[in-house]
Amino acid sequence: MADRLEQRQRKERTSKQLIFRRTVCLMVIFGVLSFIPLGWKLWDIAIVHHEEYQMRQLNQSTRDVEVRSNRGTILDSSGNVLAMSATVYNLILSPLDLINSIDQRKFKDDEGVLDEQAYNAAIQERRDLIADKVCSVLELDRDSVIKRMERTNSQYEVLKKNIEGEQAEELQTFISENKLGYSLIMTPTTKRYYPYSNVASHIVGFVNENGGAYGVEAAYEDVLEGTSGRVVTSKTGAGTEIYNSYSDYIDAVDGNDITLTIDASIQRMAEQALAAGIEKYEVQNGGICVVMNPKTGAVLGMASAPNYDLNSYGTIYDETLNAQAAAQTQREYENLKTQGLKNEDGTPLTDEQLQAKAKNTAIGAALNKQWRSKVLNDTYEPGSTFKSVVLAAALEAGVISDSDHFYCPGFYVVNGRSIACSERSGHGDQTLAEAVQNSCNPAFMMIGQKLGAEKFYDYFESFGLTEITGIDLPGEAKGIDWGREFFTSAEGYLSLATASFGQRFTVSPLQLLSAFSATVNGGYLMQPYVLKSVSDAQGTILHQNEPTVVRQVVSEQTSRRAAEILESVVAEGTGRNAYVAGYRIGGKTGTAEGEVGVYDEEIVSFVGFAPANDPQVIALLYFDTPKHASPRSKYGSTGYYISGGQMAAPLAGQLIANVLDYLGVERQYTEAEAAAADVSVPKLTGYDLDTAKAALKRKNLTCRTVGDGTVVTGQIPAVGASVPGNSTVILYMGEEAPADQVPVPNLKGLTYDQAKKRLNEQGLYLRASGVSYYSAATHALDQSVGAGELVDRGTVIPVRFVDTSVTDAYTPLE
Amino acid sequence: MARKAKRDLTVEEQLARGPVDLPLLMLTLLLLGVGLIMVLSASYATAYYDPKTDSPLAYAIAQTRYALIGLAVMYGVSKFNYQYLRILSLPALIGSIVLLALVPTPLGVTLNGAQRWLKLLLVAGPTFQPSEIAKIAVILYFAARLSKRDAINKKKVKWNKRTRWGRFCAWLEKIGFMELVPYGVVLVIIAGLLLLEPHLSGTILVMAGGAAVLFAAGISLRWFALGIGVVAGGLWFVITMTPYMTSRVQLWLDPWSDSLGKGYQTIQSLYAIGSGGLLGRGLGKSSQKFLFLPEAENDFIFSVAVEELGMIGGIMILILFMLFILRGYWLALHARDRFGALVGVGITTLFAVQVFLNIGVVTNLIPNTGISLPFFSYGGTALIIQLAEVGIMLSISRQIPAPKQD
Repeated sequence: MADRLEQRQRKERTSKQLIFRRTVCLMVIFGVLSFIPLGWKLWDIAIVHHEEYQMRQLNQSTRDVEVRSNRGTILDSSGNVLAMSATVYNLILSPLDLINSIDQRKFKDDEGVLDEQAYNAAIQERRDLIADKVCSVLELDRDSVIKRMERTNSQYEVLKKNIEGEQAEELQTFISENKLGYSLIMTPTTKRYYPYSNVASHIVGFVNENGGAYGVEAAYEDVLEGTSGRVVTSKTGAGTEIYNSYSDYIDAVDGNDITLTIDASIQRMAEQALAAGIEKYEVQNGGICVVMNPKTGAVLGMASAPNYDLNSYGTIYDETLNAQAAAQTQREYENLKTQGLKNEDGTPLTDEQLQAKAKNTAIGAALNKQWRSKVLNDTYEPGSTFKSVVLAAALEAGVISDSDHFYCPGFYVVNGRSIACSERSGHGDQTLAEAVQNSCNPAFMMIGQKLGAEKFYDYFESFGLTEITGIDLPGEAKGIDWGREFFTSAEGYLSLATASFGQRFTVSPLQLLSAFSATVNGGYLMQPYVLKSVSDAQGTILHQNEPTVVRQVVSEQTSRRAAEILESVVAEGTGRNAYVAGYRIGGKTGTAEGEVGVYDEEIVSFVGFAPANDPQVIALLYFDTPKHASPRSKYGSTGYYISGGQMAAPLAGQLIANVLDYLGVERQYTEAEAAAADVSVPKLTGYDLDTAKAALKRKNLTCRTVGDGTVVTGQIPAVGASVPGNSTVILYMGEEAPADQVPVPNLKGLTYDQAKKRLNEQGLYLRASGVSYYSAATHALDQSVGAGELVDRGTVIPVRFVDTSVTDAYTPLE
Repeated sequence: MARKAKRDLTVEEQLARGPVDLPLLMLTLLLLGVGLIMVLSASYATAYYDPKTDSPLAYAIAQTRYALIGLAVMYGVSKFNYQYLRILSLPALIGSIVLLALVPTPLGVTLNGAQRWLKLLLVAGPTFQPSEIAKIAVILYFAARLSKRDAINKKKVKWNKRTRWGRFCAWLEKIGFMELVPYGVVLVIIAGLLLLEPHLSGTILVMAGGAAVLFAAGISLRWFALGIGVVAGGLWFVITMTPYMTSRVQLWLDPWSDSLGKGYQTIQSLYAIGSGGLLGRGLGKSSQKFLFLPEAENDFIFSVAVEELGMIGGIMILILFMLFILRGYWLALHARDRFGALVGVGITTLFAVQVFLNIGVVTNLIPNTGISLPFFSYGGTALIIQLAEVGIMLSISRQIPAPKQD
């Protein structure tokens, strides 16, 4: 028995020991070992990958809203705003939050059953409230608004962008009054305004989603842009904001303001001159007009046609371009039709698709064309305007002097090759000044030969014609030349000959203008620029831009002489249509083919500067492809002789005069000019004829009498009227001066004397302008008061004359 | 009923009046306290944004109420002499099987796409999971039966060795297979019913509890080796042969392969733990609980705890659980009898497995199984039953003889 008990106890013990051992085993596994991987994993996630997970977690749980900085303003040199930013609002609806904003609990009874009808009615009521208001204020289509409200999964429906002023205010009040801020949100953003719309469009440029895209907007992006601020708030997994929670604000830093050297008024004058010429000469390919200060390189105005409205840069602004785009669309469409294009699914494109495709291509090309600045992005063959550079270079090199004579038989032979002059009959013997006045090609080829290819190219380089000018605007192009190696080689002889009168190479308008400036401003090549200063939002000037002298190319003396000769070109030579009394305009005309070997696509240009003794303004005006009357005709479709002297010079001269007036530069009259200057008519009635005649003589006026009394009883013009010197005053002796109105006669095409006589017959007076002297070849171009209009007797009729004997047309190279 | 004087008590009754194990009680209260605070913090946002609840405190208040009921139950159970559980274990097992069998019937309640619940009074009252009862019933029944293992083994059935069948049975008897048949039948029935629901995590826990008791009771290791082999083979087959499980394992290895779908929960959990760092964002400052992390107050409450309290806080919680589990095994080791020891082992293992599986899931150590964290996760019946289980542990601890004072 005891044995059995012992056995049982032993068995009990072993069994208990077994349980003990096994339990200890479990204890080690579950109490200790199983925690090791857990601890390791915890450490791995929370410490090793802490930053990675935290970053991802922050990304998903924070809402990072950009606060856009205000972009800086762009001002012209007189402080007019060319580009500015204003705060506008985007109206955003969250259809999901609109539903969530209706508290479902309010529509539940005690047992938690939802009264769906009432609940849905409440949602619909709120939708209607918003839709009614939004549609009435913003004039939106109600159906589409409702449709968007029904996208209940969405939290972001932009109902309208760029809401301004009163509309925005009204909506803000509506939102806060009805406590709709949860589902209807106005987010502020900025919009760019261009108060001058199409003025200086190519300089100012515009802004797209990526910032400044063209012009100053692009060039000074970093100055204007400022630094965006941010609002960081936390949000829930459902995307809603957590109120009273973590949020962080980083203030936006506004961009700086930019003041340009451009003056809006001068810019406008430039654009008007350009537009006038384009209309007058039916110019096919636009043109440019750049006005610069030759001493500093500061650009005062820079017009390029076609231009566009900066406020809607995506539409074609120019009518000619629009017509071209329409024609291009048709051509493109015809072209596409023949290609048999197919959709992705293999069906051929429908007619509408083809039309749309053609339109897209044509419009896109036209838009690119209108955004292009011909000043910056294009180059052209400068033609005779380049002769000023050759002149200055030759004078500086000392290979020519005033005493030199140049004989022009109408052609010049270079290495056995004859090159014709624009005056086929030849200019005969000419002094240096006469050769320039005549724009004589043979004379310049001789000058080029004297200079030699090596020296010629040296000057070509130092006038900056092989490199970009470095103007602070994007996309500047540079001309194409022959390269020194070819130019100076034996095969390059023809290049030297043609280069001497500005053909067979291209330059950019800015290259030519700054080189031309260097010939007349004392010899300094200036870097053109448009930035005058940078100031912060408070108006403190942060940076004042200074003119940059690239190098001195010719001496002051050379420059002075070149300016004198160029002044004589306007006073007496091919540039005489640019003459305006009192402004001492100097300049050079130019006519060249846009492309070698292409006919009837001339670029007619004029570069003028004034006053010649101290240039304040230099202007380049060119028109690309005036329409020809017939193929290879020397006359344009509107009857003008196609040349720089006939087309560009008159407009450029007037433009320079206007700009000088605007800048307040004092006029300088020569004696002859002073004689023709306006005088005021003295009081003559009541005096006897002799006294009256003496008084008139003092004023440099003549008279004729009507009637046979002894005392002057009436006079035309009236006392104090301003008439040009040398005018004939009509004295009425014993009769009353007639007080009726007379019709203005048609003066077009008349010579100076004819016009003056015709007017005087009617008791009207002529104020002539346009040319420096009057000959049989000078014809009235247009009159300020139209023919047939009734005016008071004694009225002065301004008439512009043009010298049609200027023959500086393009001479094709054989 | 007047309390009997000590001298009137039998030895048995005197033993049952011993002091409860204070360390286990304190650890339980600590875990429960921390758990309640975390439920408050983690459920706040869920409740706030849930239109069905009236107060952001709704979950926290409910959980506190359950915790108080649970503590009362724990106290009551700890006063109950666990020796009676030997007798009660069989009815409990049968009852739980019946209840499990009722779940697939129309009486069962479906929540979140799985039919796992019953109403307390079958047709009314709060819902509960019969699987919770099954877990403890299996442990009690196994422990009760295995504690009498020697006696059972002695009553050997005489197999008729003349028939082949008899010889086979005798051989099975000899290698100890026959002994396992009743346990196997119970486990198969319960696991089958659970898988029918389907309730994978419940199945795992019932199996783990049962296996722990069998293991501790001294069942030959070869059966466990065989069991592990069969389970591993089965898993391997399921993982490689069924596209569903393959994708699940794929998802476990790379949750970002479906970051907005099935991998979302795991990723959000990793974000929560990861953004907690060493010291955490501070209590109440989790941002993952703001509707990013699904079930933030339930299965993934530990992630929120780490996000707010940092890895330090997470380790502290793990240490509390570790101590709790070690103390549980310690009590089992020192239990007065084999029944107490086996029940202790079963219950403690149950807790240990739940902790391991839950934290393993939230840290993506193992694929997602859907097991809640004891004392932490929001859920009424589970918490009450867990506290009742601690009550059993405490009851066992009362009968541990005091160490002799030499």
